[in-house]
Amino acid sequence: MTKIWTVAELALREVARRRGVLLILLVFPLAFYASRRDEHTGQSIRFVCLGLSWALSTAALFAGSAARGIEPRLRLSGYRAYHLHLGRLLALWTVGAVLSVPYFLLVRFDQDDVRYGAIALIMALTVATAVPFGLALSAILPRELEGTLVLLIVVGLQMVMDPADTAARALPFWFSREIGTYAIDHTDSGYLARGLVHGVTLTLALTALVAIASGIRLRQRRHLRFD
Amino acid sequence: MDQERRGQWLRGVLDLCVLALLHRRESYGYELAQSLDASGIGPIQGGTLYPVLLRLQRTGLVSAQWREGAAGPARKYYRITPAGADTLRRTAVDWDAFASGVGTVLREVQTR
Amino acid sequence: MNSDGWLQALAGELHRRGLDPDLSRHVVAEAATHLRDSGEPPLQVFGPPATYATAVAESVGAPQPGGGVGVARVAMPVRPPHTPGPVRLEVRGITKRYRRRPVLTSVDLTVRAGEIAAVVGANGAGKSTFLRICAGLLSPDAGRVRVHGTLGYCPQSGGTADFLYPEEHFVLVGAGRGLHRAEARAAGRAHAGALDWEPAGRTQARHLSGGTRQKLNLVMAALGEPDVLLLDEPYQGFDRGTYLDFWQQLWRWRADGRAIVVVTHLLNQLDRVDTVLDLTPAREMSA
Repeated sequence: MTKIWTVAELALREVARRRGVLLILLVFPLAFYASRRDEHTGQSIRFVCLGLSWALSTAALFAGSAARGIEPRLRLSGYRAYHLHLGRLLALWTVGAVLSVPYFLLVRFDQDDVRYGAIALIMALTVATAVPFGLALSAILPRELEGTLVLLIVVGLQMVMDPADTAARALPFWFSREIGTYAIDHTDSGYLARGLVHGVTLTLALTALVAIASGIRLRQRRHLRFD
Repeated sequence: MDQERRGQWLRGVLDLCVLALLHRRESYGYELAQSLDASGIGPIQGGTLYPVLLRLQRTGLVSAQWREGAAGPARKYYRITPAGADTLRRTAVDWDAFASGVGTVLREVQTR
Repeated sequence: MNSDGWLQALAGELHRRGLDPDLSRHVVAEAATHLRDSGEPPLQVFGPPATYATAVAESVGAPQPGGGVGVARVAMPVRPPHTPGPVRLEVRGITKRYRRRPVLTSVDLTVRAGEIAAVVGANGAGKSTFLRICAGLLSPDAGRVRVHGTLGYCPQSGGTADFLYPEEHFVLVGAGRGLHRAEARAAGRAHAGALDWEPAGRTQARHLSGGTRQKLNLVMAALGEPDVLLLDEPYQGFDRGTYLDFWQQLWRWRADGRAIVVVTHLLNQLDRVDTVLDLTPAREMSA
């Protein structure tokens, strides 16, 4: 447990020292929010949630890539793969939770007639999925550039595709649109349930993917034996 | 005198000369260098002298002590040990034999 | 160079040669007295500090980089004439190809506790590849590696976290080795001290100079005292003095019974190691 906490704490310190990145992270969803502020009710809420998910997955992508150099030697220094990726997940989840609080407060006091509890749920699920999504991309793709492009495509599609389309469910942040409809348009709880299942399933699947990818990358190779 | 050859000769006998000077009385580095120069062996630099002193000290042929001089700052005084005196006596005899051998051979050249 | 500067440089050089601190002080004090008495410039009387320090170290019997066998300080007994310990690293038949071009062909190496093995070879001969295979960071096409004990690895570059302070690196690696924070910091500082580096302070790794970052890398590899140390040209960016410190440190680790593999392309160190593994392909050697 000490090992996971140590990785988490130091990963958190690393993020905290990237002032520029933090600032962009903080301002970026705000730009999304402001861009749709004048349109019909709720559009800005949908956008701020997407903005948050994009900002967080990008942060996770870069954090994951930056850790690539040091993780193999930490593995040699007595860490297991799960210590390393769990620690990093915890750190980034913390960052996400802290960043989403001001946005929830913004929605809470700037918007009327929406289900605030559902908004909070969207934000929680956004933090939960965006972090492993970014880390999974960093584990699977060789460089940050590829990862950034993939993220761009995913969020772009997320914006233009009709959530009612079945294919849209394959997108990672579909739950955000679905629960958003429930929160803003006061639809029936079917939306909430579908979104919740999607979000939770996705969080579990992506976290598992991160675990598997990091386990493979940091596996003990067969030619090497310790006695 | 050819400086390089002088250096080579010196390497062989400097420790003996130092022992001999210390046999007279205890002394410190700078004074030893002056005595060596005055005796005609030539100027000896500190970079050559102190390593020899350290080696003699390590092998127990001299002992050393930091002490205030009559005038001036504290200095490291070297004194020959009984083992050093013994070595000096034996080696001085060997050197005599060696040097007279060299002398005999070289004199033949000079007189020819 | 004035006398004070020269004397200070001498003190540093004597320290680097592993001279007993008391003895060093005496040597420096004696030189200072001599300079005061004679009034001559230090370079004329004693020569360059490094040269004089070498002469002093030789005459008191301290080991010389390039010449000696042991690592002992003056006061310590000289290393006994090679007492090999148990085998720590066994490498058998390692073969590796990159796009069908063979880089390593059936390479064997055995390193025992208290031994240093040097891996040499031209650029591209596969030195780093070999070390990465030994560390388990890369899979070979054939062959196996057995490590009896724990492993520490120092890469040629990278391997540090840009935004963390040196001491945070110690804590991070230390936790993996089961060290508490204070222990890890103390151990890191001790290893750093041997390389003449004071790691306290708030400088992020990305702001360290190349040489200092390599010191950090080396300290990280050595934390937790692993039985086998794999060092991939860790001295890049070291100045001459640090380079000597580095070899002093290697000998201390060897004396402590560590098994060390060090990649190097500088042949003048080879008389200071126990085994040399030359990875230059045979056809190049005959050419």
